[in-house]
Amino acid sequence: MAALLEIEDCAKHYGAIRAVDGVSLAIAPGEIVGVIGPNGSGKTTLFNTILGQIRPTAGRVRLSGEDITGMAPLALARRGVGRTFQTLQVFGSLSVRENLIAAAQEFRGTLFGRLFAPPDAGLRERADGMIERFGLQAVADLAAAKLSYGQQKLVDIAMAFMPDPRLVVLDEPCAGVNPALADRLRELLSGLNASSGASFVVIEHNMDFVMRLCQRVVCLAQGKVLSQGTPDEVQRDPAVIEAYLGH
Amino acid sequence: MSRGQALLGAAAIVLVACAPLGLKSYGTYLLTLWCVYVMAGMGLNLTAGYAGQMSIGHAAFLGIGAYTGAILLKAGLGLAVALPAATLLCFVIGVALGFPALRVQHHYLAFATLGFNVLVFLVMRNEEWLTGGTFGISAIPRPALFGLSLDRPWAFFLFTYVSALLLAAAFYGLVRSPWGRAFATLRDNRIRAESLGVDVTAYTLLAFAIGAACAGIAGVYFAMLVQFIEPAPFHPAASLMMLLMVIVGGAGRFLGPVVGAAFLVLLPEWLRFMKDWYLVLFGLTIVVLMLWLPGGVLSIPERLKGGGRWRHSSR
Repeated sequence: MAALLEIEDCAKHYGAIRAVDGVSLAIAPGEIVGVIGPNGSGKTTLFNTILGQIRPTAGRVRLSGEDITGMAPLALARRGVGRTFQTLQVFGSLSVRENLIAAAQEFRGTLFGRLFAPPDAGLRERADGMIERFGLQAVADLAAAKLSYGQQKLVDIAMAFMPDPRLVVLDEPCAGVNPALADRLRELLSGLNASSGASFVVIEHNMDFVMRLCQRVVCLAQGKVLSQGTPDEVQRDPAVIEAYLGH
Repeated sequence: MSRGQALLGAAAIVLVACAPLGLKSYGTYLLTLWCVYVMAGMGLNLTAGYAGQMSIGHAAFLGIGAYTGAILLKAGLGLAVALPAATLLCFVIGVALGFPALRVQHHYLAFATLGFNVLVFLVMRNEEWLTGGTFGISAIPRPALFGLSLDRPWAFFLFTYVSALLLAAAFYGLVRSPWGRAFATLRDNRIRAESLGVDVTAYTLLAFAIGAACAGIAGVYFAMLVQFIEPAPFHPAASLMMLLMVIVGGAGRFLGPVVGAAFLVLLPEWLRFMKDWYLVLFGLTIVVLMLWLPGGVLSIPERLKGGGRWRHSSR
């Protein structure tokens, strides 16, 4: 099957420091790939390169064959690339339902067409479906800023899936999340992957979460791919144990 | 909006329309001035309240609208030309002023807009061939509407009031539409908005342009109301007062400028019985309001319910 996302020999150098040093990856449609590695291994630089926030020193990033290297966030969003952030990024003054509608409305019609569109942009049903899926019915009409951290995290992740993305890049989805919610997030993401067919790239330090969610895991160290394979293969790789997982 | 709220709103609209029956001409003049500032305030509320783009240059657009209207009306071109021309000119200049907002935010943007206001003020004061300089433009005619003269205070009030209501209806449609939600995403979190496909460039420029166009419309009515314009009402200090109107009423709330303009246009007049002390009391009232009600007068019900800073939903 043709890859959805291809990272070809990607490198990013800051003077003598090689943050990413010749990383190549291919992610198939519907695949969930976890990126792990110790601090300073190049995960964030690789993540920012995929999302166009860093222009690589060398190499290309392609989405369905199209060169998206250094492409602006808006252009990436329009090509079906969704993302979540390490810190909470919701629209605090809007209700949960409005957050979800806002997450998808710009993909409907033209800019001027939306001026005359119904207030919910025809997305209320979809937003309510997502609210139900994430168990947010009780807080659907509350301003997002009034919710607990965990609830905001759910809203934050649900928003990324509202526009029906082809690829979702998740930056530490378990950051600041308790084990019970991490389990819930994993189940939700597995379900979304199955129902939407979107591919995920997940950067995460919670190894239990990564190993149970991802179909393939890539371990980076010193800007290079140290190991990749199924979660079991990577967990057993002595090089990964030595560099990151420990004994 | 509930049925009760709709009835209350309709009653308030009728009551204000009938207000000149119990007022002398100065009272009617103040009510008309309130309508003018409501129109301008709605625009600033869109720019600063809904879209979160700090602007302290709004009086410049009121001035551009007023001078454009005055010049064209004096040239005998009529309101049908003067109003669209002033609106369009302010819209275009508003787009241009929006560009700094693509690079800077918050107080940096505030100073950029302040600089724009100073520039416009200097043009109004110094370009005598166009604006009349400090002597201004006098004897600005009020147009007739379907053959009916608008010279009488109550007639001009009704004309301005109905215009403000029409603008408010259009504004209500705008902020309830997906555009209103997109403006709110700019205010709350630009980075997330862009990652969700919100064209922050287009919406930022539109927030400035539509806000400026509303002020341009208000400017034309201002010129027709006072029938003599000079640069002073468009000084940067007036921009601060306009921003205060929006904040005092409730930034990002539909009725915020309605309440804020009443507070700043009408309250000083009601306090005049205090003679020299009225400005002191007015200033203290503003200080207390900002300390206790940073969400504006319209946030009082939420404060009473014990809610925090955030409202149920901003739209």
